[in-house]
Amino acid sequence: MNQSVWGPVQREMTDLLQGHPDDVPAVVEQLKELQSILGHVPPLLRENPLCDFNQLYLTITEGVLERLYAGKFKDPAFLSRLDVEFATRYFDALRAWAGAGTSPRCPEVWVCLFQRIGGPDCRPLPSACAGVNAHINYDLPFALVTTFDHLGRDPIDDSDQHHDYLEINDIFADAIPGLRRGYLEKWQLLIDTMNGCLDDWWQGEAVEYTRNVAWRNAQKLWGVRHDMLATDRERAGLDRTAAGLSKLLLSPLGSFLQ
Amino acid sequence: MGIRVTFMAGEGEDGPLVGRTGTLAQIQSDLRNAGPGGTSAVFVTGESGVGKSRLLRETVSSLRDAGFAVLSGTCLDIGDASPLHPVLQALRQFDHNVQPAGSAGALLDRVSQDLREVAGDRRLLLVLDDLQWADRSTRQLLLYLLAGLGDVKIAVLAAVRAEALQGTHPLRKVLAELRRLRSVRVVDLAPLDRDQTVELVTAITGGRVEPEDADRVYKRSGGNPFVAEELARDLRDGRVELSDTLREIFLSRVDELPPNAHSVVHAIAAGVEPIGHDVLARVVPLSEAELIEAVRAAVAHRFVISDTDGYRLRHRLVAEILVDEVLPAEATVLHRRYAEALSLDEPDHPRLALHWQKAGEPARALPSVVASARSAEELYGFTEAHRYWSSALELTTGDSPERTELLAHAAESAHQCGEHLRALSRLDDLSRRSDAPSQCDLHLRRARYLAAAGRTATAEAEYERALEAPDCSPRQRASAAAYLAELLLHLGRYADANARANDALEMAEVNGSTADLVRASAALGFSAAFREDPDAGLAVIRNAVDIAERSGHPDELGVAYLHLAELLTGPLNNIEEGVLVARRGAERLAKLGAGRTYQTRLLAIAAKGLFRVGQWSEADAVLETAMRHRPSGADAVELLLARCQLWVGFGDVEAAHRDLDAVATLLAGGGARHVLPMLTLRAGLAMWQGEHPTARASVQRGLTETRSDDLVLIGVLAWHGLRAEAEAHAAGQPVDPGALRRLKVAVERMAAGVGNAAAPVRAVMDGYLDLCAGELSRVEGRQDPAPWARAAAAWDKRGQPYPAAYSRLRQAEAALQRRTRKAAAIGALREAYATAIAMGARPFAAEIVAVAQRYKVALADDVPTVPFEIETTDELSLLTTREREVLSALAEGLTNREIGERLFISERTVGVHVGHIFDKLQVRTRVQASRVYLTAA
Repeated sequence: MNQSVWGPVQREMTDLLQGHPDDVPAVVEQLKELQSILGHVPPLLRENPLCDFNQLYLTITEGVLERLYAGKFKDPAFLSRLDVEFATRYFDALRAWAGAGTSPRCPEVWVCLFQRIGGPDCRPLPSACAGVNAHINYDLPFALVTTFDHLGRDPIDDSDQHHDYLEINDIFADAIPGLRRGYLEKWQLLIDTMNGCLDDWWQGEAVEYTRNVAWRNAQKLWGVRHDMLATDRERAGLDRTAAGLSKLLLSPLGSFLQ
Repeated sequence: MGIRVTFMAGEGEDGPLVGRTGTLAQIQSDLRNAGPGGTSAVFVTGESGVGKSRLLRETVSSLRDAGFAVLSGTCLDIGDASPLHPVLQALRQFDHNVQPAGSAGALLDRVSQDLREVAGDRRLLLVLDDLQWADRSTRQLLLYLLAGLGDVKIAVLAAVRAEALQGTHPLRKVLAELRRLRSVRVVDLAPLDRDQTVELVTAITGGRVEPEDADRVYKRSGGNPFVAEELARDLRDGRVELSDTLREIFLSRVDELPPNAHSVVHAIAAGVEPIGHDVLARVVPLSEAELIEAVRAAVAHRFVISDTDGYRLRHRLVAEILVDEVLPAEATVLHRRYAEALSLDEPDHPRLALHWQKAGEPARALPSVVASARSAEELYGFTEAHRYWSSALELTTGDSPERTELLAHAAESAHQCGEHLRALSRLDDLSRRSDAPSQCDLHLRRARYLAAAGRTATAEAEYERALEAPDCSPRQRASAAAYLAELLLHLGRYADANARANDALEMAEVNGSTADLVRASAALGFSAAFREDPDAGLAVIRNAVDIAERSGHPDELGVAYLHLAELLTGPLNNIEEGVLVARRGAERLAKLGAGRTYQTRLLAIAAKGLFRVGQWSEADAVLETAMRHRPSGADAVELLLARCQLWVGFGDVEAAHRDLDAVATLLAGGGARHVLPMLTLRAGLAMWQGEHPTARASVQRGLTETRSDDLVLIGVLAWHGLRAEAEAHAAGQPVDPGALRRLKVAVERMAAGVGNAAAPVRAVMDGYLDLCAGELSRVEGRQDPAPWARAAAAWDKRGQPYPAAYSRLRQAEAALQRRTRKAAAIGALREAYATAIAMGARPFAAEIVAVAQRYKVALADDVPTVPFEIETTDELSLLTTREREVLSALAEGLTNREIGERLFISERTVGVHVGHIFDKLQVRTRVQASRVYLTAA
């Protein structure tokens, strides 16, 4: 196993990832510390693509926390749990990362981003988007299923939970102005150059649409969650599709988004 | 038992153990070191072949030597295992056949009891392999046992395949919950590094290894000991390995087997392990001598191991490779033979169902699937039952007559296990059948499922439709109206609920079942109480108790008593009588020997009430009785929270931590109702220990998870948060401005919400708002006794001595610091101290003493001596503390009204106490009672 994937901050990284945050304030804390550690990973330091994503994710999670404190959600217990489950998957991926080709337990979609930490550099927006893609298109449906399972509820359209879930779209929209209208057209153009499954899977408005895809995927996973084989098939499928998109984002083509 | 053939393998069963010495020692020491609950657990995760089972075996043998009783079970990957399979299987090895029990909770208790019996006075080690395949019931049992609820001194050692933990595997959640217990360790078993791999290879080849060979083994195996061991054997035997994948390595080995051994290996791969010799003999068409020869060869070639309970493949990895190799037609034949072979013995339905299905014989599989579903329901494994009913549906076609019944079962079991969407879609299918149940029946069911799924608006509409359905019988109509009233009550629509409950009660009195009557009465009572007509509400619910008493049905009695006790201790704040009712109800049910869940819930109400009125030792006693019922799920959480409240009050830090850990582990779906009290207690405990940051973090987390309508819960939480900041300030530590700002927002939100709340809620809220105002004045350094005096008066009025005494302490402190009204301050301080001592609130008393010392106030003079202790004889020992007080006053010749005035309780409540005293002392008059008392005293 490659022990030095995090270079000089290996120790700090290992220590930080020992923690399993259990509530939203703790998730924010962990992301903050992570941000400062990631800024020390050579050679790109603060310019590394994971830093770009982590900063965005931190901003979004702080937005969620603020709204929780302000009592903006209908079912805050659900949303808190979801936020924790969601973050857990990102931390799990980081824990599983031991370098390219030696991380069998790290989802492919995260590998795409992680292996670019050492360069070559890519533009911040596509980097952040690749992370958002991994986190939303791959992690989110699973986080949703686990959360519903935990609370003993079903993912039902128009429920309080669905409403809260959609509320987060606003937070994303605030945090990623680059994904608003003007850029969406370019994005769409990029997607249009791809044929096949990506095309019908990715259309309309980027984050909102993706997040709805995640909700639909969660409902699909919910139906088969007791069937380990089917779940695993779905998991592999999601990983493949999302990884395909990430590769595209991180390719030279992706920089045209900026 | 059939014949068992054992063989000595050519070499030791296990290769050398490399690179695991440290891990092994750590696991054993973790298992020996039980946490405060007497339990410990180690979960070993890692990829297939990394050596999890091996670690399990090694640990078992040394802990067995150390005097542990060992029980082992393996989870099955047949998808539809029966509930609790691995544990029941393990218990059967000790000839314990767990019998079905009256409820899911009772079953958990029964299993615990069997485990205790097997253990005797030894510690118990429960070993579970392949836990990723564990059914839901088994996962729940683990939570129950490790939270210490089963009262079994148990150590759990389990292996989990890491591959399975990706995605949404339910075990992820269980492990996350268990991680919160201090006594649980999750060990991630990593592959061997290069040096360790070389050490393993050298040990197997028994000599020097060329560096490039060792490198090749390391590269190919990726440090996986199972694969490395196989490759090392090839190296030793001079076999040149051309293939790169594990799959090719093993397939070439299979080819080397003699033909009969080949058949044996394939047959075992198709079966559900372990496979008994007699079953194998029926599946593989060989003579006895040939079969034994073939098994011997399979063992010698290291494919099969032979154990006491039958044959297994050496490793699951091998089974997975072989299963893909068998031609579909071959597989069908094997499964048919298995099914036929298994039919000869006492039917093992889950296995039969699997084999008949795989043999392509749905009609023959169906009876076994249905039987499996029914027996899963007997064990309260609704998830498993639901899956069986669903596969039964898959085995039938649209025109088969049994489909209607199967759909009804599938819908109901989905509802029972919380699959509300699935339940609704099954119900839709059911309604389309030509022989579907009546319209009204369908609407009623749909409404129940919708309400459970939280879709209250649609559920309401469905109840309305049921009421309007032309085929609705009077009885169904009464039932629908009662359910609807209950739903409206939960929605806080008290006026609607009240009107609907009135209708329902009228209908139920003529046509309804007792259950409907009780449900309608409860809805009417609560809605009346919330609409500020408490007496009317109370009368209706008392009547419901009488009705239930006449029917004598445990469920109805339980519900009726529960409603009455909740109404009294809740909105009416007549805690004393509420406690009496709760205890009487629990006793009544205990005599019937039924309604365990209701008994537990009633006792939880009693204990919480006793805590609030300051009778802590009595509360402790009640909780001890309640815990003896070994509650599970939400009931257990309620009781643990109530008990933890006592520990925090008494200042028993270790016990409080233990219960908080257990609550955190068991919490699932309880929502704010359980999470917020847990966080509040955690904060309270941290404050007694001077750990203000911990207290602050708990409260802040609570603030993120509250809904705006959880008024009372926010009240307690915000008070704790402000108190934590005030104490930090007083201790010269920094106040967190962000936290303070958020707390102020929460208090404002609460104050704004109070206006819309029902009157009883408003009264409680005012008390908390007073406390918050007081703490704020402390944080801001204003030494103002006024808000505290107000708070003390408010809590006195509610009859809750603890917050009242706390307010007095702060009132006195502020006054002493200001040097004003010293006499009043000293009086308040002494009164607070007397209360603290009487309750046994040690940390609180210590704080009062500290304040008294700081301002040189003598507490001792006026502290009343310990309450008059009555020497107890057998007769009087039956009485509660309160009853003894009533009896002592009664013996002085006081009337009920006078006793009430002396003890600050209502005349009516005194009457209830007197009734109980008479019952317990078996007397009929006050004179007789006084005589018993005077003789004893």
